[in-house]
Amino acid sequence: MSHIVIDEKRCKACYLCVNECPKKLIKISNKTNNLGNRIVEFDDPEHECLGCAMCATRCPDLAITEVYKG
Amino acid sequence: MATQVFSIPKSLKKDVKYSFCPGCDHGVAVRLVAECLDELGLKENTITATSIGCSVGLYDFIDIDAIEAPHGRALAVATGVKRANPDKFVFTYQGDGDFASIGWAESMHSAFRGEKLSAICINNTTYGMTGGQLGPTTLLGQVTTTSPTGRNIEYYGYPVKIAEHIALSEGTAFSARVSLDSVANIRKAKAAIKKAFEVQMKGLGFGFVEILSSCPTNWRMSPQQAHERVRNEMMPIYKLGVYKDITA
Repeated sequence: MSHIVIDEKRCKACYLCVNECPKKLIKISNKTNNLGNRIVEFDDPEHECLGCAMCATRCPDLAITEVYKG
Repeated sequence: MATQVFSIPKSLKKDVKYSFCPGCDHGVAVRLVAECLDELGLKENTITATSIGCSVGLYDFIDIDAIEAPHGRALAVATGVKRANPDKFVFTYQGDGDFASIGWAESMHSAFRGEKLSAICINNTTYGMTGGQLGPTTLLGQVTTTSPTGRNIEYYGYPVKIAEHIALSEGTAFSARVSLDSVANIRKAKAAIKKAFEVQMKGLGFGFVEILSSCPTNWRMSPQQAHERVRNEMMPIYKLGVYKDITA
């Protein structure tokens, strides 16, 4: 099952990943991290993630640390 | 069984946290450099000469030996390091103000001499760290804190096209301009950085990559809008492509 791992402490809330995901699986959450940023969350109830790693390639702050495909 | 298709490059320091502004493309560029060092197996054999500007903190992020050069003189320092240690891999990571303004002489003459070095220049059309002043690559008409009515030709002259100038030098083995505005272009940027590293490893000459990057903070834009500006305003002036490649 394809999925991503988000390091919440690194997220700076630029939301580039939200626009990049072809399946729109990354959403702005209601949580705030230690930097005071409203972080993103990975929401994939129907297992639609392609494992394309476009979000991780786009993320400028290494907040998406791992991507698994398959 | 899921296979891992992305992980943090091993050349980056453990638990690294970038000091860049939200949405800044510097983070992507540093990661691409680290990925190339990983893939070429260079981490243990690399020395970097770092610059002044937003690019200054490279040694805080990548786990390699580094020497801090005076403003603009990264390639002059790198020349000394490489000549004293010809078996080491030496590269610089600079901004456009550092590379093309205060360091223009050192940068161009490194290319003219055909030093076996690799240089990466991040072009965001402004001086990012000091608050968005007019730089050598600022576009015509662009409003900055020191050009409040926009850059005009009579007063400020024309923007510098770095990759083309470096390509004119006979000592240059590879010169390209890439962009980080989209995922496709990020992948091309990585290929160009790798090529610039490889020409040094083969001892062919000077390897150079100019990377078009966004500066959402000083452009007063959202990260998304900043990438649209790179696409719509910068890329028609600073055309992407490989300007010189002696291995092709």
